[in-house]
Amino acid sequence: MRKNKFITALLLLIAWMPLVSMAQLKPITGTIQDGKGHPIFGASIIILGTTQGTVTDESGKFKLNAPDNGTLVITSTGYKSQVLKLTGSSELKIDMQEDIGRLDEVVVTGLSTTIKRRNLANSVTTINATQLNGVAPSQTFDQALNGKIPGATINANTGAPGGGESVKLRGVTSVYGNTQPLYVVDGVFVDNTSTSAGLNFITLAASGGALTSNQDNPSGRISDINAEDIENVEILKGASAAAIYGSRASGGVIIITTKKGKAGRTHITFSQDLGFIKVSKLLGVRQFTAQTAAGLSNDSLTGLKYAYEFDTAKTNGKLYDYEKEIFGNTGFARNTLVSVSGGNEKTTFYLSAGVKDETGIVKNTGYRNTSLRFNIDHHISDNVRIGISTNYLNTGADRGFSGNDNAGVTLGIALSSTPQFTQLHPDQYGNYPNNPFAASNPLQTIALMKNHEGVNRFITGIGLEAVFQRSEKSITKFIGGGGFDFYSLQTNVLFPSELQFQSVNKGTSVQGFTNNLNINFITSLVNTYTASKDLTLTTSAGFTQEDGNYNNILDAATQVISGQSNIDQAGSLTATQFRAQFQNQGIYVQEEASIIESITATAGVRFDRSSNNGDATKFYVYPKAGLSWNLTHSGLLDPNGFFSNFKLRAAYGEANNTPAYGSKFTSMNVSNIGGLPGSLIGLQEGQPNIEPERQSEFETGIDFSVLNGALNFELTYYKKNIYNFLMLSNPPSSSGFSTRWLNAGDLRNQGVELSLNARPVTTRNIVWNTTLNFWLNRSLVTRLIIPPTPQGSFGYVLGSYQIQQGASATQILGLSPTGIVKWGDAEPIFQMNSYNEITFQNKISLRFLLHWKNGGQNVNLTNLENDFGGTSADWDAQTIQKGVPNGAYRISQVGTSAQEFVQNSGYVKLREIGLYYSFSTTSGNFVKGLRLGVSMTNFFVWTKYTSYDPEVSNFGTGFSSGVDVDPYPATKRADFHISLDF
Amino acid sequence: MKKKIINSLLFISAGTFFVSCQKDYGNLNSPTVQSFLSNASAADLNNLVTGSESGMRTNSALYLDDVGTIGRESYRFSASEPRYVTDLLGAGSAVLSNSNFYITNTWAARYRVVKNCNTLIQAAKNSTLISPTEKAGYTGFARTIIAYQLLLNLNLTDSNGIRLDVSNPNALGPIVQLIPALNGIQSILDSGKTDLQGATVIFPLSNGFARFSDAAGLLQFNRALSARVEVYLSNWSAALTALSESFYGLNLPFNLGVYSVFGTGSGDQLNPAFIPQDNTGEVRVANPSYAADILTGDDRISKATLRPVASLDGLSSNRDVWVYTSSTAPMAIIRNEELILIYAEANIQLNNLPQAVVALNVIRAGHNLPVYSGTVSQPSLINEMLYERRYSLFMEGHRWIDVRRYNLLGSLPIDRPGDDVWTEFPLPVSEQ
Repeated sequence: MRKNKFITALLLLIAWMPLVSMAQLKPITGTIQDGKGHPIFGASIIILGTTQGTVTDESGKFKLNAPDNGTLVITSTGYKSQVLKLTGSSELKIDMQEDIGRLDEVVVTGLSTTIKRRNLANSVTTINATQLNGVAPSQTFDQALNGKIPGATINANTGAPGGGESVKLRGVTSVYGNTQPLYVVDGVFVDNTSTSAGLNFITLAASGGALTSNQDNPSGRISDINAEDIENVEILKGASAAAIYGSRASGGVIIITTKKGKAGRTHITFSQDLGFIKVSKLLGVRQFTAQTAAGLSNDSLTGLKYAYEFDTAKTNGKLYDYEKEIFGNTGFARNTLVSVSGGNEKTTFYLSAGVKDETGIVKNTGYRNTSLRFNIDHHISDNVRIGISTNYLNTGADRGFSGNDNAGVTLGIALSSTPQFTQLHPDQYGNYPNNPFAASNPLQTIALMKNHEGVNRFITGIGLEAVFQRSEKSITKFIGGGGFDFYSLQTNVLFPSELQFQSVNKGTSVQGFTNNLNINFITSLVNTYTASKDLTLTTSAGFTQEDGNYNNILDAATQVISGQSNIDQAGSLTATQFRAQFQNQGIYVQEEASIIESITATAGVRFDRSSNNGDATKFYVYPKAGLSWNLTHSGLLDPNGFFSNFKLRAAYGEANNTPAYGSKFTSMNVSNIGGLPGSLIGLQEGQPNIEPERQSEFETGIDFSVLNGALNFELTYYKKNIYNFLMLSNPPSSSGFSTRWLNAGDLRNQGVELSLNARPVTTRNIVWNTTLNFWLNRSLVTRLIIPPTPQGSFGYVLGSYQIQQGASATQILGLSPTGIVKWGDAEPIFQMNSYNEITFQNKISLRFLLHWKNGGQNVNLTNLENDFGGTSADWDAQTIQKGVPNGAYRISQVGTSAQEFVQNSGYVKLREIGLYYSFSTTSGNFVKGLRLGVSMTNFFVWTKYTSYDPEVSNFGTGFSSGVDVDPYPATKRADFHISLDF
Repeated sequence: MKKKIINSLLFISAGTFFVSCQKDYGNLNSPTVQSFLSNASAADLNNLVTGSESGMRTNSALYLDDVGTIGRESYRFSASEPRYVTDLLGAGSAVLSNSNFYITNTWAARYRVVKNCNTLIQAAKNSTLISPTEKAGYTGFARTIIAYQLLLNLNLTDSNGIRLDVSNPNALGPIVQLIPALNGIQSILDSGKTDLQGATVIFPLSNGFARFSDAAGLLQFNRALSARVEVYLSNWSAALTALSESFYGLNLPFNLGVYSVFGTGSGDQLNPAFIPQDNTGEVRVANPSYAADILTGDDRISKATLRPVASLDGLSSNRDVWVYTSSTAPMAIIRNEELILIYAEANIQLNNLPQAVVALNVIRAGHNLPVYSGTVSQPSLINEMLYERRYSLFMEGHRWIDVRRYNLLGSLPIDRPGDDVWTEFPLPVSEQ
């Protein structure tokens, strides 16, 4: 079916080709420079009204056949575009003006249409390659986004190698559903599932004996993408911009475009990073005395024993800082990338190969990523262009063993009750002693365990653009695109029988195998009709389809034969399989009118259906509309006056979030007896009529530039309503069910985003570009048809989220002496960031990114665990209440007040800072350029938060982030960079 | 013209696309309730039978701990769960909560089986692939199990009642008080009986139903449960009638009966009531009164074996509960020893004292005790009967209910000052 349609479309194109008329052409040449005499490489020159054009070479030169009276449009990223009427001269010299406010940047607004930022009705954030990756390297792509998106709350769930970031655009958009944005790489909808490796089988973090839980902290699969291949990232933050993506757009859309080749000489770039990784902060350990050691036990005899052990250890110099031994190691990072790009006017290509290898701060942990990318663009004819991007990725992460657990086995939990005087080091034969203070010896655990994620992934996207009708006033294009994202993920968890806590299970091996295939395609027709000089109409229509197929097999074996991990080499085996499959289909129509190049009105509608909805055949309708009015362009304001650019804009759109796969079914679980196969009804009642969560967003704003474009402001207000958000309610258990899906209520997010782009200093020697963003969001549950429901976390005693009508969706409630009160809110009061680039003499570049998160609370239980275990560094200090040791005081608060555990998680982070020096050599040399640099990531963090890092989430990327239970500590890194151009 | 053709071609291709690619994948991971309700085959229905039988075991140890702890048969010491020795025993100011695991988990597990059986009844009704007598077999089994599961929940909540009608999860029946609830359970058993008379059983059951897996056997099982309910209702003659239709027999083995069995197979369960002897950390020990009150020579002392003293929170015991002696040991649902004692009880209450003494002597002889030599009067024989029930049915979920029936809760030992003996559990919070 799908094939047929493509063939039909192709046939149509071929049939139309001869009809496209040819005008009389004449050769012209030219040079394009930046105004200071530097040639601009890769600037694009297009003959207005056609797709014909070329790009400049290194010396800024181009050649083109153009009609006598034609008009050229010259564009280059970072410069204002120019329109040039040909006057008969065949030798042109063009100076481009820098576009500080990036008003001429082209932004994707439809599934197949783009618009200049100058005319946008939405606030769309664009992150370019330098901002993403050119200040300091990140281990994974998702980490590279952190702190860079105004309007987003991005939070690292863990410091473990391989990442795991939660990205929430403009507040929480769902409680039980997906809160994460949709990622689109070169037109391919890529998967970002987090697949648990089955650690819950060992940690018992969630009771009930399941192999997996949401506390297993797997990485999200978007981390596989190699950030170095990315040209830019566009962020559609809500439905008003993203409605055209329909049923998967409620969390926003992140559109990633990878690098393309440019016509001209073949460029070869080799770059190498070398760096080291250290823990951001250690909490420190309690310094015991014989007396405090004795105090670890209520039993006086045991206390005497501890005091003796302490004295012995002290005498023999065997008091250890186990925290430092475990988390205080230095990881080494190396990252090599070779890219080759080039091509001619017909065909361009970009080829890159990268290898990344980093070790973690905990021994036997680390991350590897091998990436191979080949992008090719080809003009079959002047009217038909095809683009293919292919990517093979092989990633591996050894993530260690951290987070919540009820078995006393993760590193942090074991550490929390291990005092400095107990002996955990192996004897001369390599045998580790049992840890008498915990269920596990963390040094032994690190040495013997394995928790590995390995991915093989192929992502391929194809785009086809063909002009099949052209007249003076109208151009019609067919735009088709799509691709697939396939990966195979293997998780390998092994806890051999020698481990202290494996005395009952005698070795545990959990092997997971996951295949995931996503396929999507879009076919559309776009017609641009130029009615007059003052009115251009762009009509687009098309259909889209997305298919997903996920298959996860998880086998947990115990009684594993020594030295083996294969699940058949075991005495007992539990197998589980989970599959999910969906298909979404959409039809959309969009009309865009550009009036006197200053008013842009857009209206569109998408009809969508999904196999995950209760009624798979029902179409849901998502309208969107936007209006922008550029007052300077329309002549109402003088562009040479105070405002060089002034735009008013407003946009509205709707999107939704499909229910989780399977929520419409009441499943039957397997429950066997005496070898007979049995079906026992599941505890969750399915809802055959389940509806998607629906979101509507309105945003409005003013964009203006003053001082001739030196200061550019963007002010945005948005209001986002989520209707019928899904919750799991608790029906009377006599119904046979303990949970039931419910479209439970409505919630609202509203906020503001302010952005300033400026160039405070511009002299011949120094240029300083700066971007300053400020944003805040407030949420409110406006309707809830069930009683207030605690969410996530561990109850009121320690601080819990609670969904409650009339309250913030992310409020944190807890016990107080006067009852249950609000102690905090995960939502920050506001956030700010500032990205700066200072260039000296065009050779030295200093770049840095500052990020300030003001306020927002976490539930910090890491310190409490240490208090319970009697090991917190300030246990004996009496700074909270005179006469009471801090540790004892905090423990006494359990059951009385949660205030101590709900903590401000605000911070100021100098997330990235980098200094680069570029040598450029004359074109005769073999080496064309050399760049050297040093960078630091997260080296400077100012926070009052008392655990490892305010960025943490024991429950992964779900709703209840910011719960802190002995995570893998956050890290900082420093790198040296060298890069050579040939 | 050409444009028109193209447009119509595109239109047609778009149209075909949307008509032909309509997908609903169904549930890929397990059968669904919906799939069972649409013309289930015998194999499907058999899966529901097995699932129901299997589900009866979920949280069965918790039930025994609830009844055993409050009935002062046992203590459950757990390093990670203090509420066994605080809430259940009423330590200090602790009370039973309506949201804690000891009531919510066991209550939900029983109603889950009820739901499964209701699904079985509906699925059998909707099926055109089985005969009417076969349908009656499924329905009779399901109703018997429903009644048993409801009775276990009512045993916990007693005068707080239970819900009898839970067939529609969106329109649950009312909470029914104790006596009407017992009557309701009895009438469910009666309709199960009607089903099983003349029914054909084509489904397999585990070895726990070894001698009762056909229609006749299931009928006997149904009547045995009925006898227990009649005793709870003080319908003494009816209890004797039910016994006569059950597998009761004075000369039959005490252990003849229906059991939940356990196994190591895939998807099976291990006996959760099994804890190794002399274990530390997780411990289930006999209340000291068990050994203190037992008659010399009574072989039932072997149900509580000596161990190093285990203590927690002011409680201690030197005897493990040793009723479930391996992780695959069976757990009785109902067995002949109880039926003999029901026979004795009903006859005492009907003043047929000689018959009662005969039955009690059968029990005593079976446990190495001399024949009953006490006063042959109703009060004395009731005491004797309660003694025999206490030791014969130790840790099988009876003691607390028996002393409650006879208003003897006050006679139970208080092991710590300030402890309480609870009469009943509150209804789980989700029911209120």
